[in-house]
Amino acid sequence: MTVRNKASADKATACDCSRRVVLGAGLALVPWWAASSKADDETDPTEILPQVGDHFVYLAGDNEGQVVKSADLVLDGPQIQAYPADPSGRVRDGSRLNLVILARIDTTGVAPETLANAADGVVAYSGVCTHQGCPVNMWAADRSAFYCSCHGSEYNPKQGAEVVAGPAPRPLPALPLKSADGVLLVAAGFTAPVGVQN
Amino acid sequence: MKKLMLGASLGALLGAGIAGTAYSADYTPVTDARLVNPEPQNWLMTRGNYKGWSYSPLDQINTGNVKNLVPVWTVSTGVDSGHEAPPIVNNGVMFVATPYSQVMALDAASGDLLWRYKRKLPPGFSALHNTSRGVALYGDKVFFPALDAMLVALDAKTGKVDWEAKVEDWKTGYYTTMAPLVVKGKVLVGVSGGEFGVRGFIQAFDAETGKPLWKTYTVPAPGEPGSETWQKPDTWKTGGASTWMTGNYDPATNTVYWGTGNGSPWFGDQRPGDNLYVSSTVALDGDTGKIKGHFQYHQNESWDWDAMNAPMLMDFQDNGKVTHGLVSPQRNGYLYWLGRNPDGNISYVKSEPYVPGNVFNSIDPETGRPDVNLEHKPVTGKDVSFCPGLWGGKDWPFEAYNPKTGLIYIPSNENHCNHMEGKVEARVPGQWWTGVAGPDIHFTVDTKAAFYGELQAYDLNTGKRSWRQLYPNSMMWGSMLTTAGDLVFGGGTTDREFRAYDAKSGEELWHFKTNSGIIAPPSTFEVGGVQYIAVASGYGVDPATQQNLMSELVGWNADVPQGGVIWVFAVSK
Repeated sequence: MTVRNKASADKATACDCSRRVVLGAGLALVPWWAASSKADDETDPTEILPQVGDHFVYLAGDNEGQVVKSADLVLDGPQIQAYPADPSGRVRDGSRLNLVILARIDTTGVAPETLANAADGVVAYSGVCTHQGCPVNMWAADRSAFYCSCHGSEYNPKQGAEVVAGPAPRPLPALPLKSADGVLLVAAGFTAPVGVQN
Repeated sequence: MKKLMLGASLGALLGAGIAGTAYSADYTPVTDARLVNPEPQNWLMTRGNYKGWSYSPLDQINTGNVKNLVPVWTVSTGVDSGHEAPPIVNNGVMFVATPYSQVMALDAASGDLLWRYKRKLPPGFSALHNTSRGVALYGDKVFFPALDAMLVALDAKTGKVDWEAKVEDWKTGYYTTMAPLVVKGKVLVGVSGGEFGVRGFIQAFDAETGKPLWKTYTVPAPGEPGSETWQKPDTWKTGGASTWMTGNYDPATNTVYWGTGNGSPWFGDQRPGDNLYVSSTVALDGDTGKIKGHFQYHQNESWDWDAMNAPMLMDFQDNGKVTHGLVSPQRNGYLYWLGRNPDGNISYVKSEPYVPGNVFNSIDPETGRPDVNLEHKPVTGKDVSFCPGLWGGKDWPFEAYNPKTGLIYIPSNENHCNHMEGKVEARVPGQWWTGVAGPDIHFTVDTKAAFYGELQAYDLNTGKRSWRQLYPNSMMWGSMLTTAGDLVFGGGTTDREFRAYDAKSGEELWHFKTNSGIIAPPSTFEVGGVQYIAVASGYGVDPATQQNLMSELVGWNADVPQGGVIWVFAVSK
């Protein structure tokens, strides 16, 4: 798979978790209730997972549809939600499994693995909760944690999105970043399969 | 296994020509007449009958022998999360829906698995509540609303998909969890999504083909009756009034009664006006879906107090005369008696609080409109507390009514409150949109309270409480079943117990510790002359969230084991 090679070139921690690979590796990686019933899903470029070189566009808010730049993100503030987009601008919003959250963090004392995946002090993770697949769209300000609005799982953005509260069974997969003139780009595929994994 | 008690009714069953024998050979089609007058041995719909009583005339299991109730068979559902569906039984065939959009068909007497339907949900799909509250039966089909807002018709004999119909686009925040209501060949469904800014509706599909027949929104569009209660432009488009529990039906007037949910977002000052038909019971024409009447329990809903449960249809005494009425213990903490008028209009009769609260100063005796204490009405930009909290005096679990005792059995919770501050937030379709983030919804309890969960029995006619059972160490999330054996069955507590109570005195007569916490409605049925009690045990969803909070507040064990098992009990000889 060429995708794996590209991804691995930039970040040693990356795995290739594109839809094609997940399906190829067998259904064990996809829970029975989340598996696609359509065999040809992976051919739709809006449905495949983030690819190296993709940029991001805001899902909502005042900047909806605009390209995400590292300078726009508030330090230690709430995450923003975005979808990856290919260099032609085609947004990969065909599957909600592509939802990504980005946050700018104070990198002091941050875990080395987390730092390795960051660019311009910005970290990116899957925006899909590992518990039941809800969007991780809220911010627990007093604990500086990502918060899933469905069932209250919380993740620490500075420690690889490890679970710090709630029912989620595993961290949010990281999406390694790089930066080009302040525009945040995908440096490698997700570090783990996204979504619910039974 | 001990020998099971055989009743005298086997001959009667055979005589009626509807006793189940070989399943695949002669599945008994469900007809309109059977839904209007379900046989005692069957449990053909979620609440047992169109009136919504959760009552069975079976009495083989009774106060004298319930102590000998033993498990006959069990089966694992293979999934976790909150199991909220009753076993539906049609002449020896049982259908149970489970979380994650699964339906199991079983031989009701032996427990043999006949078939299983597992829906493949779309990639990236999620739901706030991954549950199902059951299936509906008609003809030779089983109707199942899957989580992804799709109505699926299954062949009752094989489990094969007969047709599928789209109810709504799940990506916009709609999902479906309730059991459908079948009315004269139409399958009626409602939608969940009140936390996602949906606009509620009830939709009817042709049972045979899946063709959509009518769709009635529970929030009127501009120009429609009630639209004047939405004073701010466009707020109606995202106003809530979801329809996430099954309605009840009056065949005499061809009227469907359906409950509606909270307003969206939660804070009423962001959508000024009374906001019809939020937190209401609506009365619909069974053929056309036209709204014939309504009753709104509280205006400009701001407490997440859904009025999701349809009221029970029953006649009661009011000032010496019999009233064709509706009775409903509401999430707002009041027990309501309403008039069920022949033209479909709903009139207010009276109400009484069944749990303490601080929100209503009084209720207008003529209209039923509460006078709200604004100090306890959540608003934008100010932290406000209110009691009972957002889970209410009771949430969705079913009350039950026993015509032999004249008592209504209400699973309820006390000594809890919430406080929260609303914010104006941009809506992202398909995402949480209540005006308050999860971490900022503050749940509080009286940490010195003598109890939290309870089961209460109220006299239908006098409105007086007859008895109650208090649970100091648990909330109560159990739907109740009552029978002509003068019994009430239910779980609902975190100690995993399934209990039988004396329906007249409230005395606990029997209990059994199951695998998990029980939040599903029990049902009862008879096969081969033996009466059985069935229930799914599988804890999760909101009770689990609340238990986590109680763990922080009063130290309860947050670990209530999950994983679904269907239990079937009978009396040993």
